[in-house]
Formats: sequence, C-alpha cells, structure tokens
Amino acid sequence: MIKRALILIAALAGPAWAHKPSDAHLALAVDGDRITGRLDIAVRDLDAAVGLDADGDGSITWRELQEAAPRIAMYVQDRLAIAGDGDASCPLELGDASLVDLSDGAYWALPVSVRCAAAPHQLAVTYRLLFDIDAQHRGLVHVAGQTLIVRDAQPVHATLGESTSIASFVRYGVWHIWMGLDHILFLVCLILPAVFQRRGKWAAADSLKDVTREVFEIVTAFTLAHSITLVISAVGLVQLPSRFVETAIALSVVAAAVNNLTRSIDARWAVAFALGLLHGFGFSAVLIDLGLPSRELIGALLGFNVGVELGQAAIVLSLLPVLYAIRRTLAYQTLLWAGSGVVAFIAAIWSYQRCFI
Amino acid sequence: MRVFALGAVGLAGALTIASFAAPNRAAAAAKTYVPRDASAVVARVPARDPREVAERAALSASPDRVELAVELAHADIQRARSLQDPRYLGRAQATLGRWWKLAEPPPDVLLLRATIEQSLHDFGAARTDLDHLIALRPDDAQAQLTRAVVATVTADYPAARASCAAIARTTPPVVAAACQAPLDALAGHADEAYRSLAAALAGSRPDPAVRGWALSTLAELAIQRGDEATAADHLNEALELDPDDAYARAALADVMLERGDAPGVSALLAGYEQIDNLLVRRAIAEHRAHGPEAAALAQRMHERIAAAAERGDRVHMREEAMFVLAVDGDARRALALALANWNVQKELADARLLAAAAVAAGDRGAAAPVVEWAARTGVHDARLERIWK
Repeated sequence: MIKRALILIAALAGPAWAHKPSDAHLALAVDGDRITGRLDIAVRDLDAAVGLDADGDGSITWRELQEAAPRIAMYVQDRLAIAGDGDASCPLELGDASLVDLSDGAYWALPVSVRCAAAPHQLAVTYRLLFDIDAQHRGLVHVAGQTLIVRDAQPVHATLGESTSIASFVRYGVWHIWMGLDHILFLVCLILPAVFQRRGKWAAADSLKDVTREVFEIVTAFTLAHSITLVISAVGLVQLPSRFVETAIALSVVAAAVNNLTRSIDARWAVAFALGLLHGFGFSAVLIDLGLPSRELIGALLGFNVGVELGQAAIVLSLLPVLYAIRRTLAYQTLLWAGSGVVAFIAAIWSYQRCFI
Repeated sequence: MRVFALGAVGLAGALTIASFAAPNRAAAAAKTYVPRDASAVVARVPARDPREVAERAALSASPDRVELAVELAHADIQRARSLQDPRYLGRAQATLGRWWKLAEPPPDVLLLRATIEQSLHDFGAARTDLDHLIALRPDDAQAQLTRAVVATVTADYPAARASCAAIARTTPPVVAAACQAPLDALAGHADEAYRSLAAALAGSRPDPAVRGWALSTLAELAIQRGDEATAADHLNEALELDPDDAYARAALADVMLERGDAPGVSALLAGYEQIDNLLVRRAIAEHRAHGPEAAALAQRMHERIAAAAERGDRVHMREEAMFVLAVDGDARRALALALANWNVQKELADARLLAAAAVAAGDRGAAAPVVEWAARTGVHDARLERIWK
C-alpha cells in the first residue's frame, strides 16, 4: 500500500511528461462537392484500437500494419462520418495509407476522399475514434482555415467560407484584377502604345504578330514580377506597410501613363517588370485579408495567381484586337494621349489620397 | 529577353524559398512515406502482458466488474509515470469510464479518479474526490498523501497538515516528516523543517524511492534558506539514486541556473529534451549561454506549446510562462501566463515565477496575489526575496 502511495506521490511532485497526450489529425480541403484530405492516427493508438502487434513483442512493424490495414479501414469507416448541408451524409472513401512522422512518433496517414451530393456550405464531422479507449484523446479537424477540437462523439460543424477551395481562390484572383482598377489601368497604359511603334519615327504598327509579341512580353514581365513579390510576401518573408504599397502602386500607374505622354522609356516590358514587383505586394495583402488558409497556402497562392493571370489575359485579349483595328484612327490618338493624361491625373489623386488621407 | 530569364530565375527562387518558409507559417503537413523494409519497426508499445489481456477480455465480457477495471486502470497510471507518457492516463480514465461520472463510485475508483484529475491539473475535482474517499477510509495513506499534495498546491495548508498528521499514524517517520516539513517551511520555519527532515532521513533506511523524494524535499528547503550549494548536493545524491528522477534533475538545473552555470545546465539536460520541464530549462540555459542549440531548442519549445494549445490544453502554463519570460523576453505575456498559472497552482515555484514576471514587466502591482500570500503564510524564501529586491 505504502509503496503504491509513494510511486504516486513522486508523479504528483511534478508531472514530467515526455510525450503529449493522444491527438489525431483530420485535415480536409473542400473543393465544391469534393472533399479530400488525410487522417493521421498515431500508430500506438491504432494498436490499442485494433490490435496491431500480432506477435505481442512490443514492436510494431510495417508488415503488421499492412496486415491490419483492412481492419483499420473498417474501424475508421465505422467511426468517422462527414455530412454536408442539412446533415446529408457524404460517403467516405479511404485510400492507401502511408506513414508520417509527427513530433511524437509515427502516424498512419490515411487519405480520405468524400463526395457530397451538393457543394456544402457547412460540414458536420462526426468523429468517434478512440474515445472509448483513451478519454483524453482529441480529434483535431483542420478545415477551412480552422481547427475544430473533437472531445467526444458529438458532431462538430465547420462553416465553409467561399475561400476554401483552390477554385474559389482562382475566382478571387479574377475578381480582384477586374475590380482593382489600378492594376488594369497600369496594364492598359503599358499596352496602349503597342500598336503604334517606333520605326525611326512613330508610326502605326504594320504587323499584328509584332504587336502581339510585344504585348506578350509586357504581360509576361508583369506576371513574373508580381508573382515573385506575391509569393514572398504571402508567406511572410517580406512584408511592407500597406500604405506604402498602395501609394506606390498608384504612383506606378502615374509613371506608366506619363511614360505614354513623354515616350521616355521605350522598353515598356522593363517598366512592367520593375513596377510589377509593387503590384505583387498589393495582391498578397488582398490574399491575406481573405484569410489565407494556412494548411493550403501554396494551393491558395497558386489559385489566386492563376485567377489574376486569367483575368488579365481576358482584358488584354479583348483590348488588343480593338486597339489594332483602330490604330490608324483619330480615336486611337485621342485614346492614347487624352486617355493617358486622364489616367495620370486620376492616379496622381489616388497617390495623394493613399499617402496622406 | 535576358530580363525574362532573370525574372524566371527570380520567380523560381522565390517559390523555392517560399516552399521552405511556408511550413513555418503553416505548420504544413509533414511528408508521408512508405517504409521499404516490411520488417521495419514503426512504433513501440509496451510488450503485451498476457494477464492484462485476459483481464481486459474478462472486463469486456462483464463490464460491471469494478475490481478488474481498477486493476487495469492502476496498471495504466503506473505506465503513464514510468514511460512519462500522459496517454496512459487517458486510457486509465477510459477504463474507468463506467464509473467516471458517478457521484459515489467505489472507493478504489475514487482514488484513481483523483489521481488522474490531479495529473490533469483539475485540482478542485481531485480534492472533492479525496475528501470523499478520506471520509470513507481515513487510514488510506495513499489518499492522504495525495490530498496533502493537492491541498498544498491549492494553498489549503490546514487540510494538508491534517493529511500529513493522518499519514504519521500509518507510515514510517521519514514519510511523515517529508510530508510535514514543506508545510512548516511555508509557514516561515524553514530552518527547523530542514533540520527535522534531515534528522528523520539520517535515522532511517528508506527504500530508494522514498529517499529520493526526501532528498528533493530537503533540497527545496535548503533553497528556501538560501543555501543553493547544499541543495545541489542533495539533488546530485537523488540523481545518483535514480538518474531518471526528472523532478530532481529539473530542480538541480534550477539551482545551477540560479548560480549562473548555464553551460552546466545545458550539459546536465542534454538528451532529456523529450521531457517538457527539462526541455524548457535546457532552452533557457542555451539561450543564456548563447549556445549553438539555442535557436533549435526554442523552436522545439514553441512547437510543443503550439501542439498543446492546438488540442486546447493549458496544463503547461508554468513551463510556458518560464519560457516566454526567459527566452522570448516577452514579460507582459509571461506575466499574464504566470497570473493564470497562479490561479491554478500556488507552489513556491509559481510564486517566484509570478514575482519575476511582474518585476520584468515593470508591474510589481500585478504580483499582489503573491505578496498577499507570502504575508498570510509567513513564508521566507531566499529566491523570492532576491527576485523582489
């Protein structure tokens, strides 16, 4: 009796834990009606749940795990359920598991894929693994930038913002370039003169091919530049104050427009590249405001960038034929000179407002 | 076109850097793999104990057999301690699941439930269960010892004294002395407490576990008296008895840090980073000594804090506050943590921590609960007085 007491008192004196309690992670990415993800369960927990250690020697081998895979799958199918809106159940499919080493040992990494009848706005996750074996077990459900802690067999609910899928980030990207007048005006200013080139003196371009190539160069330079800064600032490597970024973007529009009036820099792709670096910082601010899902950061970045490029390509493709068609007319000259002047003026006002107000 | 090549290289570079930076920001998923060798050992678990398997089978056949559940839960609690793995506390709790929520479970269940609650820092629930159990079984030394600890942690010293007195009836004098001495010291009589425990230890030949416990207690009393050198001797002796005594190792690290021997602490704790309260001390030592592992250890500690927070645990507030104060240097946050910790546990170590955080944050008023506590108990502690001066 006393011996037992003393063993306990020593533990009481200072709980010295070399491990953390049992957690399992269910990471889900929602893309429309498809949900994919992975369930990571500690191998040690699986041993308690379904009995992995066939020979009872205390060592669990990969072979023993593979032999137990069907039992593990049944165990998970039995105890994990995902439902969409109105608790409409979404059937669960399990893939071939591999292993992943987390901070406290090896976990069984089980790919999960779910298809709901309709794209859900809310997910209900019923997670009932292991609680009957380990009352301190927690299921951590990572979805839509949130982590839900499951402590018992009760379902947990996640409301899905529009921002959860890569597709929705593509939409945000398109939307942002279309709504963000400063990016469009910058780009338009750069491509306006493309149909009116210098051949010793200024003259209307004679070949659509040359024009297209020049526009392609400008757009590519802009894309590369803003992608670089978007990536490095979205992951937090470089962050600039938003007032500075917004003012600089407005000034970049002034610069592009004034360049059309003064014709001082002919290599507009270089302008596109240099000033495009600023625009990337602006894009990343938008992306961060959207609530960047930390677990799907790269996907969100790619999706958003693809959206920006698509939106930009749509503008350029619809503008270029019109410009080419009217390149010899007074309308074009008016657009080039007066348009650039007006843009320079408006952007100058933006610069003032963004900097001082 | 050359600029495009440069731009493309720049973008590739940015993406590469991003793919390294993103995990820090995102705790991104670790890489999965499939072992090439089917006989590769993936994880280790305690070797199967045939008797336990039989008992578990018997329990699931007749789930009402409380004596089986108690036996199994007790084995898991022992395992939690010997493997330093709190996972087995949750298993013990689950084994007792049928009785866990009962207001009046059988006495053996009460004791185990209190032990688990205590380990989860649910001191209120543990105390209720222990009081209940002691009303039923006043001579249960284990219950009395546990109650003495819980009551001390929650600053209910009369209850702790009553339990130590009850223990004296049924256990050897050295056990009762080790129970009683810290209470005397907290009441301002550290010198007498030290002498009486030292005498009780000298006059007995307890088994190593009791001896180690008494030595650690003696060391704590020596620290209160301002004799860090003697404390170090006692703790070194405790570690010779049992190198796995994490409590003694942590206390020795504190003594060495107090005496400015950060490199020594780093060596003392090398290889023990698995254990939370040793990791935090090694991180502090490397930070102070500007050691080569300072950044890596701090990162590890940050990860551990984040992992605990992710599952909603606040069991490690003391360690977190220590770390935030000493390594992050964020005194305001450390103060908030130390205050929250003080609301849960009120040992001398917690008092020192709160005082140190308040002084560092330039907000001595925030340590009012400790000042009031010290005035009420009459405690004298050399470390606390050094911090406060």
